[in-house]
Amino acid sequence: MDDDEAVTRALAGDLDAYEVLVTRYSAVAHRTASLLGAGDEAEDVVQEAFVKAFRHLGGFRRGSSFRPWLLRIVANETHDLTRSRGRRSDLTVRLSGVREPYGPDDPEGAAVDADGKARLLAAVRALPEREREVVVCRYFLQLSEAETAEVLGVRLGTVKSRTFRALRRLREEVGDEHL
Amino acid sequence: MSTSDDGRFGDPEAPRSLEARLRALGEELAVPAPPPADVARAVRARLQDGRAARSRARWRPSPRVAAAVVAALMAVLLGATPQGRAAVVSVLRFAGVEIDVGGAGPLPTRAPGPLPSERRVTLEEARRTVRFPIVVPAVLGEPVDVRIADGGRVVTLRWPGIRLDEFDGTLGVVWHKELGGPWPEQVSAVGGWWIRQPHGVSYVPSGGGTPREERAAGPTLIWQHGLVGLRLEGPDDRAEAVRIALSVR
Repeated sequence: MDDDEAVTRALAGDLDAYEVLVTRYSAVAHRTASLLGAGDEAEDVVQEAFVKAFRHLGGFRRGSSFRPWLLRIVANETHDLTRSRGRRSDLTVRLSGVREPYGPDDPEGAAVDADGKARLLAAVRALPEREREVVVCRYFLQLSEAETAEVLGVRLGTVKSRTFRALRRLREEVGDEHL
Repeated sequence: MSTSDDGRFGDPEAPRSLEARLRALGEELAVPAPPPADVARAVRARLQDGRAARSRARWRPSPRVAAAVVAALMAVLLGATPQGRAAVVSVLRFAGVEIDVGGAGPLPTRAPGPLPSERRVTLEEARRTVRFPIVVPAVLGEPVDVRIADGGRVVTLRWPGIRLDEFDGTLGVVWHKELGGPWPEQVSAVGGWWIRQPHGVSYVPSGGGTPREERAAGPTLIWQHGLVGLRLEGPDDRAEAVRIALSVR
């Protein structure tokens, strides 16, 4: 069953069809929520987003792509969560197999961070929130610029300019060369 | 400096660009996620439970409210007098919408289904077909979906996540809503009412008759523009709903 058929059936109240969509997009939804700052609460955010998406399925523009439409709801839920907690949406993920944290107080960290990954991650974490969100969408989630614009609810030009500024900041921080 | 998509297809021996390094880093980020089948089951259970989004956070009746609702239902079941029932359920009729406040049972589980003889049309076609003037909120722009139903009695405009029903608000009841408390808030800016909690809504076909099956609706703004009744569903925030309502042209 492709997305369009699943949406059509779900609109008619077919929960089996909606389960197909939930199963298909569960992983990317969790990844999105988690990387945009939901942290431990990503599971709640994702459930909430899927319930809300079902409720608002009538507003989904038929023939467009379901994934960015869904991820926008996930991003909004994540945003609401971090706002309601009155905190900054931090990038709390861990690098598998890389020692963290990296910082000036942790010279050993630098020694094991041979390929600079922990340093790069630390630099991404330190970005202003709006630029970090664009980096997360474009590179960590590997969304296109247009998808990123839809997910974050901003214009395409805004995605481009934020990406540009974020990359400039990251280059200043970690350099552009292979380490 | 380039922000293009370089690095992905380049010479693997060449120093990798910052963008390629970011993508590679993303692939190594460990994000725990439950098995998709578990998520699907949990979501399904919540949909079947009829709980609208955010119900846990915003609309869980306190034990006292729940007890009051149970007591009210018991009173009805035990054959309380009509006067007694009227004290429990208050009715608000406004712009073609009838709202019962206080006697609602659990939220209905049904998802929105189509209205009677609903069909998709263009905005122009809808304007030619229905007898009342169709308005569009300027802040939302052109609707992505336009439907007319029940012989042109209702027009439904949709934008992502937003639904606006327009109907003749002077000829009897078009919608029936049931909610537990609190009473809807009056919105003087548009001369309407804001229902902030998820609630049941059903369509009352023309010429009366049995209301269609109830479905769950989210927070809703009801107001009247000229002779047209409007119900806006989608924005969870009253201020946002009012901003949209004020922009209808």
